[in-house]
Amino acid sequence: MLFNNHDFDFSFFEIPGSDFKLEIDRNKFINSNEGFLRGNMMRDEYEPYRNYNPIPLMPSNDYEQKLYKVMELDFALVDLNLYLDMHPEDKEAYQLFQNYVEAEQKAKKEFTEKYGPILFTNVNYKNYEWINNPWPWDNIGGSKYV
Amino acid sequence: MFKYVKHTNYPINIKKKDVKMAKYLVTQFGGSNGELAASMRYFSQKFSMPDERGKALLNDIATEELGHCEMIATMIHQLTKDATIEELEACGLGSMFTEHGKGVYPSDSFGNPFTVSYFAVTGDVLADLSEDMAAEQKARAIYENLIDLTDDEDLLGPLLWLRQREVVHFNRFKELYDYYKKQGY
Repeated sequence: MLFNNHDFDFSFFEIPGSDFKLEIDRNKFINSNEGFLRGNMMRDEYEPYRNYNPIPLMPSNDYEQKLYKVMELDFALVDLNLYLDMHPEDKEAYQLFQNYVEAEQKAKKEFTEKYGPILFTNVNYKNYEWINNPWPWDNIGGSKYV
Repeated sequence: MFKYVKHTNYPINIKKKDVKMAKYLVTQFGGSNGELAASMRYFSQKFSMPDERGKALLNDIATEELGHCEMIATMIHQLTKDATIEELEACGLGSMFTEHGKGVYPSDSFGNPFTVSYFAVTGDVLADLSEDMAAEQKARAIYENLIDLTDDEDLLGPLLWLRQREVVHFNRFKELYDYYKKQGY
C-alpha cells in the first residue's frame, strides 16, 4: 500500500493531557507523510485526477532520505499556514502547526549537520559551505536517455 | 522580505531527457496561467487587501508560488540540459536555442515571452479574488493537459502534486472571497 509507511513517527502528534484534541486533529488533517505525497494536509480536500495515485517517493540514499523529511515537514507547515491564515481561531490546528515546527527544526538540524546548509545562516562548518553543489535544480544525472 | 531555502517544495529528479515535454511545460513558468503570473498577481494584489486574513493569505500563497516557479524551471532545466542542438531543432526549439541557449526563459509553450498583462490588479477585493480563483482553476486545467502528455513518473509526481496545490489554493481563495462577501464588500 502506498501510504503504509511504518517508519512514520506519530509521536509528535502527542499533546500531553489532551488525547481528545489529538483525535480531532487526526480526523481533520492527514499526517505529513501522506500529505506530502498528495499535496495537501486536509483530509477532505484531496481531489485526485482521473485514476492517478500520488507517485511514491523513494529516497535512494541517506542524503535524500533526510532531505525529503525536511521537505515533507516544510510542506506540512506551508499548507497548515494557509489554513491558519483563514482560520486563526482554530486552536487544535495551531497546536498541530507548533508540533510540526518543532519536528521540522529537528529534521533540518539532522540534515544540515551532515550535508550542509539549507539557509545561508547555517554556519556550523569549518568552511563557507553555502555555495556547495548540489543546488536544488541540479540532479545527479540519469542514465536512461531516449 | 524573502530569504532563500535551499531545497525545492517537492523533490524533482528527472532522469530522462525529453525536449518536447520541456517545450510544453515552460508555459507553467512564463505562460498566462503559469506560476510566475500567479506569484506576481498575488504579490501585487496583497497591498490592497483590507484585513489580516487577506494580507496573510495573498502574501503566503504568492511566496509558495515563487517556489513553484523554481520547480517548473528546474524540470525544464533537467529535461533539456543534455539535449543536442539537433534534438532541440527537431522539437521546434531552434529559435529558442538561438535566443536563450540552454537558459530557462519564462515564456509560454509557443515561445511568447512572459508579460505582466497576464494578470490584473484592480484594488477591488471581490474582483481580484475572483480572478485569483479563476487563475487557480486555469492552472489546474493546464496541469491536467500536461499530465495527459507524459507517462514519465519523474514528471507525473511533481505535476500531480502541483495540480493539487491549485485545488487547495482555489479553496483558500474561495473561503476568503465568501468571507469578504459576507462582510459586505
